[in-house]
Amino acid sequence: MATATEQLSSAQALYAEFIDTFGNVLFAVSLLAIWGVMTLIGVVVDQGKSPSAYFNEYPAQVARAVLRLGFDHIYHSYEYVGLIGLILVSLTVCTFKRVIPARLPPLRPVLVDKIPLHAFIETKGSESEVRARLEGFFARTGWQIRRKIFNGVEWTFADKHNWARRGVLVAHLGFAIIAAGTTLYWWKGYSGAMAVLSGQTVRIPQNGDLLTVHSFNYTIKPTQTRGGLIYQPVDYVSDITAVSAGGTSTRNLLRVNHPLEFNGISYYQASYGYGVTFRMTQAGHAVPGVPSTPMFEGDAFPVGPTGRSIQYSQFVGTIDPRARGGIGADPRPFNPGVVVTVLDGDQPLGEEIVPLGRAIDLGGGYRLEPVSYRLYSGIEYRHDPGVPLVGLGALVLVTGVCIAFYFLPARLFVRLDGEGERWTVGLAAQTPKGYTMFEEQFAALVASLQRSEEASVT
Amino acid sequence: MTQAVTLFYAVAVLCYAGAGLALLAFFLWRKSWQSTLGVPLAIAGLVSQALAIAAEALATGWSPTSNLYDSLSLFVAFTVLLYVVFARQYNLWYIGGFVLIVADFFLAYAGTWNEGYRPLVPSLQSYWLAIHVPTVVAAYAAFTLAFCTSVLYLIKFYLERSRSGGAPMSMGLQPAAAGAGNSTAMAMATLVAQRTGNTVQDETPALALAAAQGDTVATWLMGIPTLAKLDVITYRIVAVGLPLLSLGIIMGAMWAKEAWGAYWQWDPKETAALVCWIIYLAYMHLHTRSQWRGERCSWIAVVGFAAVIFCYLGVNIWISGLHSYKV
Ligand code: HEM
Repeated sequence: MATATEQLSSAQALYAEFIDTFGNVLFAVSLLAIWGVMTLIGVVVDQGKSPSAYFNEYPAQVARAVLRLGFDHIYHSYEYVGLIGLILVSLTVCTFKRVIPARLPPLRPVLVDKIPLHAFIETKGSESEVRARLEGFFARTGWQIRRKIFNGVEWTFADKHNWARRGVLVAHLGFAIIAAGTTLYWWKGYSGAMAVLSGQTVRIPQNGDLLTVHSFNYTIKPTQTRGGLIYQPVDYVSDITAVSAGGTSTRNLLRVNHPLEFNGISYYQASYGYGVTFRMTQAGHAVPGVPSTPMFEGDAFPVGPTGRSIQYSQFVGTIDPRARGGIGADPRPFNPGVVVTVLDGDQPLGEEIVPLGRAIDLGGGYRLEPVSYRLYSGIEYRHDPGVPLVGLGALVLVTGVCIAFYFLPARLFVRLDGEGERWTVGLAAQTPKGYTMFEEQFAALVASLQRSEEASVT
Repeated sequence: MTQAVTLFYAVAVLCYAGAGLALLAFFLWRKSWQSTLGVPLAIAGLVSQALAIAAEALATGWSPTSNLYDSLSLFVAFTVLLYVVFARQYNLWYIGGFVLIVADFFLAYAGTWNEGYRPLVPSLQSYWLAIHVPTVVAAYAAFTLAFCTSVLYLIKFYLERSRSGGAPMSMGLQPAAAGAGNSTAMAMATLVAQRTGNTVQDETPALALAAAQGDTVATWLMGIPTLAKLDVITYRIVAVGLPLLSLGIIMGAMWAKEAWGAYWQWDPKETAALVCWIIYLAYMHLHTRSQWRGERCSWIAVVGFAAVIFCYLGVNIWISGLHSYKV
């Protein structure tokens, strides 16, 4: 049996290994790469479709693989969420192990000419005059100056944008805040979508609020484009009343891009459609099982005991026998009808456009008639307590990224050599982002210092 | 007004084509008249395009960012604008050949998506249209420019490597110790550096030697910025693009929140933009490692650009989603 000390040291070794791995930028970038690939899979593979949709779209083997690997709902898979968790852990370890401890090189003497970014400038004047001029120059150009004496030699150090080292920390913090905001929604938030017929009242299941759609209207504008006449929707508006469980209420017009905030929930005008009421008879008698209320696109009902069913697939505003598939381009209900699909179990057997108010023969004595339609408003609602956090995180993230990219911390090492009235200013620069990143600024700084010294001397 | 738009658009396409050819010639032969012709033509094209965009905005009364034609046109204008800004800053005029030919291709392609005026669908009727789209498109423009400088980097890198017999090359301000003994090479390198403003130490001695021995490609290579500088230039361009893309995605999320209720719906377009963001984020992180700067980071910028094009055009054309503006 391992002794307590052995157990302790193996735990310490494991911890060190963990910190090493998760604190490694290459490991972090590998996680980012996997994140990118998984995200891309979700772009290419349609998400959240029924299994049959994948079998229709891809060869059977690919479809099976998509379903088995969970690519049909990749963003909500444990792997995806877990990966983001790993990224956050890696980000935290990196931030505390690498980013925060990273600082400008210490204030100490250096071999100026051994630092790749260096320059020497000849100047004149007494030592104190030259030092005062140099410090004046650096102060004017935004450098923070510190003096130190090492072995009797006085060094001047000048720092710029030292605070900006924290930009990375800020960016990382922003990402973590966004993640926290998103988690808060998963934990405490909810959302839903409802198709509400004009005149209907529905209840929000999560908080008991009532929502009434008094009416829904759309505006469609026929427009001539180079490609032909199109029917462009330009406005959707629902006249709604929301009533809280406590009895307070509000009446508003709900439009796209103009949500309603009420009782902690946001309501959105999301879509619209037509609810259709069907009648089915056999030998002149109504067949049971057909809903008496309007059905929405995608709903189905059984054809008696036959094992078959009828699905209301699509509303057709204008049936036009000259158009492809018989469906006219104008979506407005001028000569309305519905596309119905006959299903045998899951399998579609056939499709038919049925004009409204006309019955079709389904065989076996069954007759189907779409009787009437009623407009419905597609309304989404959402309670998301994470929004302020996500917003704050976004702001912090962008601020951090901008600090990290546009403010380069740099340290100058300035040494004066010479005697009497003739001096050589040795100047070297270091930055946490390498030398090339500062090359031009350094050259410009040296040239400007040279000009300033020449002007002071003459 | 429609005629004015068509006219300004056509002038821009022609100017960019002329500028692209002149600057491509400048890239190859470095005759000053080529840039003297190319740069003003590029700027004239940009002005003409700005007029086309302004005329369209006046004619329609809304921000000219509502369809693929508008956004591609804006993308091209931003690409050329950024090119002019960076070329002025870093004396990069000669990459204009690449940039303007790519830009002109996209502008001509944009024309094929011009359906004429149509009113905005409800979801696009928002002030975000005038903010979100230009921000994202400006980020794409930066990535296009970064792609061009990366390609230049890779051309120079591989041509240099073939001349240095496969020996590793210096990146950054490393003293060119290997060449210190070769005075002809160093003298040549110094000469070329004086002419181009490049830092002598950055060039490989093998390249300088080849140039001194009359290798025209080597001489030509010595005339473009050093690898280290090209790498820094690409980094700086990505440092413009990445914050813009971050902002653009965030604004898109805010708009989605207002229009559809959720700030993130895993719609193919926003998700593809996230993939681009991840790639450039990886670029930025790898760029903090000295061994990854240069060749590998340049390849990432190339891959990033492919992702941008997929996100921009591929998703619009092949994959539908909320961003096909159904509502
Ligand atoms: C996988 C998670 C992440 C890890 C482990 C990580 C780690 C690091 C480390 C260690 C650095 C500093 C490198 C150095 O200077 O030595 C860095 C830089 C940086 N990180 Fe992250 N990071 C992660 C994700 C992010 C995210 C999501 C952002 C969001 C914007 C971000 C933004 C930045 C920025 C802007 C820099 C500065 C880059 C530069 O100065 O060129 N990082 N990151």
